[in-house]
Amino acid sequence: MSDLLQADGLQKSFGALQAVRKASLKIAPSEIVAVMGRSGSGKTTLLHLLAGLERPMGGKILYRGEDMGGLNEDALALWRRANIGLVFQAFHLIPTLSALENVAFPLYPMRLKVAERRARAEAHLDQVGLADRAQHRPSRMSGGEQQRVAIARALVNNPPLIFADEPTGNLDSTTGDEILALFNKLRNETGAAFLIITHDDKVAAAADRVLKMVDGILQNEKGQDNEKD
Amino acid sequence: MSLRYLFSELRNRPARTLTGLFSIAIGVALFVSLQAYADGYRQAARAPLVEVGADLTAQRQGTVPGKFEGVVFPHSTAPIHRDEIDQIQKLPGVQAVAEVMFFWSFEPDGFVAGLGLDPSDTFGPGRLKVSITAGRFLQTGDHAVAVADSTYAQQNQLAIGSVVMLGGQSFTIVGLADTSRAGQLANANLYIPLADARTLANAAPQVRSVFDIRPDDANLLFIKTDQTRVDQVAVQVRQILGEKAIVSSGKSFAAELGSLFALIDRFGLLVGLIAFLFATALLLRVVASSVWERRREVAVMRAVGWRRRDVMIQLWSETLVLATAGALLGLALSALITWAMSRSLITVPVPWELSPSPHFLEGGASTFAVTVALPARLTIDLAAWSLGLSVIGASLIGLWLPRRIAQIRPAEVLTNE
Repeated sequence: MSDLLQADGLQKSFGALQAVRKASLKIAPSEIVAVMGRSGSGKTTLLHLLAGLERPMGGKILYRGEDMGGLNEDALALWRRANIGLVFQAFHLIPTLSALENVAFPLYPMRLKVAERRARAEAHLDQVGLADRAQHRPSRMSGGEQQRVAIARALVNNPPLIFADEPTGNLDSTTGDEILALFNKLRNETGAAFLIITHDDKVAAAADRVLKMVDGILQNEKGQDNEKD
Repeated sequence: MSLRYLFSELRNRPARTLTGLFSIAIGVALFVSLQAYADGYRQAARAPLVEVGADLTAQRQGTVPGKFEGVVFPHSTAPIHRDEIDQIQKLPGVQAVAEVMFFWSFEPDGFVAGLGLDPSDTFGPGRLKVSITAGRFLQTGDHAVAVADSTYAQQNQLAIGSVVMLGGQSFTIVGLADTSRAGQLANANLYIPLADARTLANAAPQVRSVFDIRPDDANLLFIKTDQTRVDQVAVQVRQILGEKAIVSSGKSFAAELGSLFALIDRFGLLVGLIAFLFATALLLRVVASSVWERRREVAVMRAVGWRRRDVMIQLWSETLVLATAGALLGLALSALITWAMSRSLITVPVPWELSPSPHFLEGGASTFAVTVALPARLTIDLAAWSLGLSVIGASLIGLWLPRRIAQIRPAEVLTNE
């Protein structure tokens, strides 16, 4: 199977701190990859590099075989809009918008008819089981519900790749399990691949592959039983 | 740009929205109201001239006669000779000149303020014809007849057909006029044909003793001008009449309105602009704090695929809508304020030079004034200017700040918060 995303020798430093050192990985379609590591090990920086939110100082990223290095900021934004969904630990929903409007948020700059935008947002909100909470603002929803809204937002453009940064980090155990089950369901329904940054063993257990990040070094690319690469 | 997101932001952040809205509204209201107030005063200052349909009056400072006996010229008038009148009539911008002979007559039975006028004039004292309350107005070719001010007639038991003496000559009253309706600048007790007034003046010893009086002279001119050349004509008339010229215009009446008007007239625009700038600064602060508070939101926008331009247009639109709504609210407030201002009456003092009676008599110059409602109004021009300034100010703010914030690195914000 051809790789969806391939990173080779990624490097990123912040001053004297080497956050990511020559990290390489591949993500295949429909694959769930977990990256584990302690706080400060460079996991989130790796995710930002892969999502085009940070520029690597070395190495390259290929998406469906295309080198992303030559894209400017706006081109990267458009690339993310079309190909990447992002889920954050802190949800990062817009507090003044309803659940439905938050899901539609990535669609706002696109020239879509209101009805079409609404239909897409409703469909994805329904997909995460929150159709009945469409008009609620984030402040009136639980953490688990907010994370579901954030996941629906990540899915609204039907991206083939979802990056999730500690998606269960702010949730209780039961809700975290529900989110993992949702990821699996979505993978099966949409064929999307997931890269999940976590230090939760349960999340790692649900992944097809687990990579470890230690002091900026991505280890054990082939070290897990469920490795598909 | 998403209108839904835009209005959702404005609606759901009421403190920020109301602060921005009212800061602009108050700035615009102050700016517009001050301009409307100053403009209203400028209009009001012209009221004494507008009442008589003239743009300027011209006279020449006279000389105190040896005796107040018979016909004399008020101290503020001296003969204006035919050649000078002709020169004035030929000035560029001068549309018409109404010649008047203004005099005081000290008769054995009392004092009379008299005015000789040409009844064919359609402005200046000629407007008196619409104020006739009994009898008729003067006609071309009339001789030895007079129109009396109705109040003066009542006080002196005069009626149509009564005979009054002026400079030893008798005049039969043919009409009564309510001079208060005809303009304070053309005010006298008796109005007689200009030719008769000239004859009286030329024969009066107390006029001849101090002036070089000639048969075709006048001593007060009402001048109609092209509105764009009023000031130029005033300057040229002063040059023709020499150093003792007294030329009154809307501006000179405005000078009588006192220090408050002078301050508003001189600094109104400046104060208005400062108020406007202050409002813009407040808006800048509101937008700046809003944009700063929303860094995380902007980072999310960028992360989910908004281009910098998309972010900038969205935030710029919010500022623009806020400023436009604020400006419209400010204009509504201004309309209310100018309406309230227009309900107030202001008194425009008329300079003593144009007083109909000697200041040393009871009820003389000191009580001579014109009272009008302040013609303050919100003009389309003023409204358009304020709205335009608000939109331009907001556009600049709305482009500068969001442009900066759109440059943020989403990873940095989303990592730290």
